[in-house]
Amino acid sequence: MTDVGVVLGSLALRGPVLAASGTFGYGTEVPLLERRALGGMVSKGIFLRPRAGTAPPRIVETPSGMLNAIGLQGPGVEALIRDYAPAWAGWEFPVLVNLNGESVEEYGELAARLDGVPGVAGFEVNISCPNVDQGGMYFGNDPVAAARVTAAVRRRTRLPVWVKLTPMVTDIGVIARAVEAEGADALCAVNTFVGMSIDLRTRRPRLANRTGGLSGPAVRPLAVHLANQAAGAVRIPVVGIGGIATAEDALEFLVAGCAAVQVGTATFIDGGAIAAVHDGIAAYLEREGIASLEKLPRCLPRD
Amino acid sequence: MFQPEAPLVERRQVARDLFVLAFAAPEVAAAALPGQFVNLLLRPGPLLRRPFSVHRATEGRVEILLRAVGAGTAGLLALRPGDCVSLLGPLGAGFRLDAAWGSIALLSGGLGVAPFPLAAQAARAAGLEVTWVHGARTAADLCSEWEGDRVVWATDDGSRGFAGSAVDAVPEVGAILACGPNPMLAAVARRWPEAQVAVETYMGCGTGVCLGCAVPKAAGGYDRACSEGPVYRAGDIDWPALPDHLHYRLTA
Ligand SMILES: Cc1cc2nc3c(=O)[nH]c(=O)nc-3n(C[C@H](O)[C@H](O)[C@H](O)COP(=O)(O)OP(=O)(O)OC[C@H]3O[C@@H](n4cnc5c(N)ncnc54)[C@H](O)[C@@H]3O)c2cc1C
Ligand SMILES: Cc1cc2nc3c(=O)[nH]c(=O)nc-3n(C[C@H](O)[C@H](O)[C@H](O)COP(=O)(O)O)c2cc1C
Ligand code: FES
Repeated sequence: MTDVGVVLGSLALRGPVLAASGTFGYGTEVPLLERRALGGMVSKGIFLRPRAGTAPPRIVETPSGMLNAIGLQGPGVEALIRDYAPAWAGWEFPVLVNLNGESVEEYGELAARLDGVPGVAGFEVNISCPNVDQGGMYFGNDPVAAARVTAAVRRRTRLPVWVKLTPMVTDIGVIARAVEAEGADALCAVNTFVGMSIDLRTRRPRLANRTGGLSGPAVRPLAVHLANQAAGAVRIPVVGIGGIATAEDALEFLVAGCAAVQVGTATFIDGGAIAAVHDGIAAYLEREGIASLEKLPRCLPRD
Repeated sequence: MFQPEAPLVERRQVARDLFVLAFAAPEVAAAALPGQFVNLLLRPGPLLRRPFSVHRATEGRVEILLRAVGAGTAGLLALRPGDCVSLLGPLGAGFRLDAAWGSIALLSGGLGVAPFPLAAQAARAAGLEVTWVHGARTAADLCSEWEGDRVVWATDDGSRGFAGSAVDAVPEVGAILACGPNPMLAAVARRWPEAQVAVETYMGCGTGVCLGCAVPKAAGGYDRACSEGPVYRAGDIDWPALPDHLHYRLTA
């Protein structure tokens, strides 16, 4: 069997495919999903306190993609610790918690509260949510703010700290380096792209939030490029995200310099998507005579 | 929950532009409860699955009722016998039935009739007397098939049965189950807060993970139409906050 295990800093994953934040709930909702193939899971984004989320309609389909404005609806960190983390502790793959805050301090407090909770294997710091008024993407498109958030989390935990980047920047390399310098263990590239869809009958935006985050196959080439730029800018591993539905899609990110990938929207459509991506990667390596995923040749911008 | 590749086995017309499609999906048919839905994926077709109420579920077949309102529904209606869809289901929490009610009305507007044949069968099996109350704009839009002990028709233009909204044609009964355009269900909620209503929202996943199907609750906050719903106690929904975003309203 081809070895598809990957090591991301202090975290060893049995496979390179993780479930993306916000597309897999807390991992307890979907009985169909073939868990055997999961390298890991990132939980739905959480804040310190419960949040109601945005008014509906929250989603709209667009060509080869979808816009969402969920607004980080969630039960707050205490409910997450009580209701979900105990189950995660028994799972055979790591669960990272997607951290969100309205201020730098809130991110730090969240990390401190979750550090040491059984079931929590690490953090994905979300400085890239387009659907919240306070925080989110506003931290992610300013290198100084992005660095401060990373440092605030880093100071409060020894667990792996991944930072999820927004594509809505002029130069993702600048943000990537700022975050790396503050001790991030890995980068996740990318979150959704801000988009808008107009209903010509009402002449109003279709989403109550007006704008939403674009995901799905429509964003894939954009995301591959950004992940490639980020990977070229830093030494820490990059996790590629955006429009992955098949093994070939995932392999594009891996060849572009990513150490692992996350699958989001595709799991809405097919509960077996992650397993298909995982198996397809192994089959490709075997076909190409590449002994392990670590040995897959990469093409970074500097090459 | 199952996700079979299900072949189309029958298509029949039940009103102007209104069709029933039957797919062979034995595990789903055996498990489906009234008010639950299935999420269909058409390939080639739109990116996301499309949710449909289980219309009937018998002899290994899952039936849905639909009309073409966009690319997904048009694609489903263009299927030929033997063509397959990926059929995910059954999903959601359906209608609650209680023999103590004695009698129920199944109140529908237009396409809202979709979940009721299955509900009528289950209600009669539970010993309830079933009145089928179905309204549409005009006689040609009324679904020709019905199930139950008696039927009340209503049309906005008076071309068949009661002239006016089906909501005003409901007889005295022990309980009311309703499905139809959200404004009609809001009217139901004002009159009978205890009624059970099946609502529609746009859905991303249908399985509870995306939070895209938010239903605003009267008590504040949002619920997931695909998981806690799509059936709710009418009085529990914050109706003004629930978008009336479906373009194919068939009745007032
Ligand atoms: C639980 C449940 C049960 C259902 N049961 C049935 C059923 O039994 N029978 C049935 O026919 N239908 C049913 N529906 C509705 C059905 O799912 C839709 O009609 C279907 O998804 C439409 O798909 P489409 O691709 O044909 O149309 P689409 O092109 O997706 O949309 C139809 C129309 O809505 C507009 N639209 C799309 N998204 C938005 C948005 N976010 N905001 C505003 N407008 C938007 C489009 O522009 C278009 O005009 C049910 C829905 C739910 C949630
Ligand atoms: C409905 C929905 C909810 C999401 N919620 C979150 C979230 O809470 N936190 C986050 O960091 N990303 C969130 N995302 C972004 C995804 O994790 C992912 O970055 C993005 O969807 C692109 O990947 P995809 O094309 O495979 O879906 C969400 C995406 C969708 C579609
Ligand atoms: S449709 Fe995704 S949570 Fe309900």
